[in-house]
Amino acid sequence: MILHILNRSPLDSRVYRQAMMAMGPDDRLLLIEEGVQGALPQLVRHFEEIAGRLFVLREDLAARGLEGQCDDSVLVVDVEGFVTLTEEADKSVSWF
Amino acid sequence: MRYALLVQGGPYSHQAAHSALRFAEALVRRGHLLETVFFYHDGVYNAARLLAPPQDEPHLGDAWRRLHAEHGTRLQVCIAAGLRRGLLDEREAARHGKAGASLEAPFELTGLGQLVDAGLSHDRLITFAP
Repeated sequence: MILHILNRSPLDSRVYRQAMMAMGPDDRLLLIEEGVQGALPQLVRHFEEIAGRLFVLREDLAARGLEGQCDDSVLVVDVEGFVTLTEEADKSVSWF
Repeated sequence: MRYALLVQGGPYSHQAAHSALRFAEALVRRGHLLETVFFYHDGVYNAARLLAPPQDEPHLGDAWRRLHAEHGTRLQVCIAAGLRRGLLDEREAARHGKAGASLEAPFELTGLGQLVDAGLSHDRLITFAP
């Protein structure tokens, strides 16, 4: 299983589409930095194919005043959870 | 586990360096070994010897140095990216006829081969890019 890490909002960049196309059936996607915008209810539809495998970094939500506003389908992790995700994955790929 | 981080974002211009540092600190809190941080592209500016941010802001250079002092993390800077951006240690400054070095230990100028090696020899390599 590969952990994909995305730091771009779907509003700013289409790199998320490349990430989605590269993802295997068990791979996970973590949204960080501006990427956390993708966890908002109005944008999460871009990631509906990977429901249950979409994570978002709590600290980057909080830094943007978005904590508590993301879609219920997204799994919120803090930076310790980010580390855990990298432990559980065989490797990681960063998309930017 | 043995971790390496690749930092490609400059300090105070993108979030990448801050994200990498926060991840680095969480790694060691969880008992992992952060053996190498490799600075590439504009990430090499993290190694600038004269960084002087306001005192009420995080000092990224000092934070990287602290990781080295407390956890033995190697701070490797791509020499090709560094020289292009004016980041020279004393040896390179002398070789290029420059007065004064802009990079000093514990940061070390190394080649891209070290990055390849980090990818092969560590359990995990995590990239933080702008």
